[in-house]
Amino acid sequence: MTTPATNIAVRTPRAVSAPQRRLLGLIAALLLLLALLVLSLLVGATRIPPAVVWDALFNPSANIDQFAVRDYRLPRTMVGLAVGMALGLSGALIQALTRNPLAESGILGVNAGSSFAVALAVGVLGVRDIAGYMWFAFVGALAVTIMVMLLGSTRRGQSSVLMVLAGVSVGAVLTGATTALTLSDPYAFDQMRGWRAGSIVGRPLAMIWPLLPPMALGLVLAFAAAGALNAMALGDDLAMAQGVRLVRTRVLAVAAITILAGGATAVAGPIGFVGLMVPHVARWIVGPDQRWIFAYSVLLGPSLLLVSDILGRIAMAPNEIPVGIVTAFVGAPVLIALVRRRKASTL
Amino acid sequence: MTKTNPNSKRALTAMFLSVAIFLSACGGGAATSTPAPSATATRAPQASSAAPSAAAASSAAASAVARAAAASSVAPSAAAASSAAASAPAAASASAAGGTPAASGTRQVKADNGMITVPANPQRIAAIGNASLPFIDLGGKPLGVTTIQPSLLELVPKEQKAIYDAATNLGPSGGAVDLEKLASLKPDLIMAQMPTADFDKIKDKLQSIAPTVYYGLGTEWKAFADGLAAAGNRTEALAKQKADFEARIKSIKETYRETIANTTFVALDRYDSSAAGVFVVTHIGCVEIAKDEIGLNLPARTAGATEERSFEQIGDLDKYGAILYPVDAAGQPKTAFAPVVGSNSWKALPAVTSGRALGIYCPGNNSYGAVLTYLGSLENALKALPKK
Repeated sequence: MTTPATNIAVRTPRAVSAPQRRLLGLIAALLLLLALLVLSLLVGATRIPPAVVWDALFNPSANIDQFAVRDYRLPRTMVGLAVGMALGLSGALIQALTRNPLAESGILGVNAGSSFAVALAVGVLGVRDIAGYMWFAFVGALAVTIMVMLLGSTRRGQSSVLMVLAGVSVGAVLTGATTALTLSDPYAFDQMRGWRAGSIVGRPLAMIWPLLPPMALGLVLAFAAAGALNAMALGDDLAMAQGVRLVRTRVLAVAAITILAGGATAVAGPIGFVGLMVPHVARWIVGPDQRWIFAYSVLLGPSLLLVSDILGRIAMAPNEIPVGIVTAFVGAPVLIALVRRRKASTL
Repeated sequence: MTKTNPNSKRALTAMFLSVAIFLSACGGGAATSTPAPSATATRAPQASSAAPSAAAASSAAASAVARAAAASSVAPSAAAASSAAASAPAAASASAAGGTPAASGTRQVKADNGMITVPANPQRIAAIGNASLPFIDLGGKPLGVTTIQPSLLELVPKEQKAIYDAATNLGPSGGAVDLEKLASLKPDLIMAQMPTADFDKIKDKLQSIAPTVYYGLGTEWKAFADGLAAAGNRTEALAKQKADFEARIKSIKETYRETIANTTFVALDRYDSSAAGVFVVTHIGCVEIAKDEIGLNLPARTAGATEERSFEQIGDLDKYGAILYPVDAAGQPKTAFAPVVGSNSWKALPAVTSGRALGIYCPGNNSYGAVLTYLGSLENALKALPKK
């Protein structure tokens, strides 16, 4: 039997409770994100002194270096923030909804739907710029996800397994169709190459403003479904016993996934690994509570994307590597290391 | 912008069918994937560019150059009259222009696939891959062509584009030519330029349809023009173009000797395939002619044919004395390059505000006519370049 004095001595280093630890971790994640936002404004293909960066933001003038900050670094940083948040959160949502640690938004056909819609826009309508692709990609993602939801519904309601199978099947068909379209006119589809690599460069702020309100709505929907998804992690029957409305929760979650992942893909093109990896990291830190996982994913998603983008700028300077390629290089080894920890992949 | 490609329509129909099959089979979960035809995109990046000017006419040496051109690419065939072999192309060209039936007889043309025996006066020519526009530039009217990259086609003079549009489209690229459609045209000569790997796959089939002269992508543009002219019986037109070319080069070098010696240039471009927010410093295309023939002081080629630059680096361009950028025949920035010109950084660049950013029109770098147009545009730009 231990004495009270011994208890105090043992507890002192563990004085921080689990909720406090999660909160501190969240603050640390927020500080990391803020630091990366600043770094993203300071680092680039050309050297610009911090004072000029400051002036570009707060004392603007018609100076070429200031234009470089305002027209290129600031938009790509903001796009990285929005896209990273959307990808991280949609990844956490889809993993919670399907109870599958390997799921990401692509499994519902979002990427395939976006790519197919952009291929149609390029090949049939002759659309030639990123701003034009964006709306086709967004509508394509929405349409395909609705189709997947309908295909994943039976008379007894919806099934996550059916939905995933429908998503994979529709995705396979649309990927084949996109390839057929692309090969039919390789020159026209030259233009799609940059978009398909996944990049946050060259997207002016004016282009992405219209997508921010729906993406904010997706954020709200995701957190609205978080509590119910916690209950659903125990199984549908137990969740129903706790009063969770399964169909309503799934519709909320799928709507949020579609808006978030569709919006992110529309702006940046298909970017892998962020939606897959970030929820794993979050789960490793905070455990199985979806509300915390979502909060961490919202902060860690853009951090991963911005780190990848900054690395892409300096790794082969003055050339740049699209962020979609860097996330794969950065994400793959980290994910392998993480999934080898039993705790990390537990849902 | 809104042009619908017939190949896209076919693929679209096939794709909708596959989606319909998939949806109808959804209950059973059977998915039918669309078979994807193999194709390889062949793309020779080139500088392009603006104010077209009429090429100087100089025909004094035309016949001499014609003979030189014939000698370089045409060897007498055993089947042809030996003594007439060298001069036959020019004569045949004249009769071809008059629309007379194909003359009997053949001759041999040196190509990358060997000495090829071709009709002395071919009448039904298919020009596929990168051979399409250079042959049209020589005054040829091919029956069949393959798709040209839209960003290149937008720079081609209207009359040449009309000839290209009038020809039957045989497929998305030289390597993906529709052989059945090609055979149905009953060509008496096929001209081709494409990657060797693509040609190797179809060369036997092409040869079985008609005599095929093939040139690889590495063929120097002047030798390529020689070969096409010899095979297509356009040596007279080539001779005039060559004479004009030599005269124009000499004129530019003499007139702008000081500017050429004292100015550092950089050539920029951007392609349809370029990622957003990226342009390139280019070392290939028409700029090679500016460097090799005129002697413009351009950056040394250190790495690849082009060097990608972020829009952030537009400010770094000010270290050059003059910037060459691609424009179309009307002097407007090439569509793919327009985002660079529209950026705030470009507008604030001292080289731009002081008139040292020069729009150059380059309709092609693979034939004399196109190069002459480029030289005319370059000369106009040099004339407009402010003195230091």
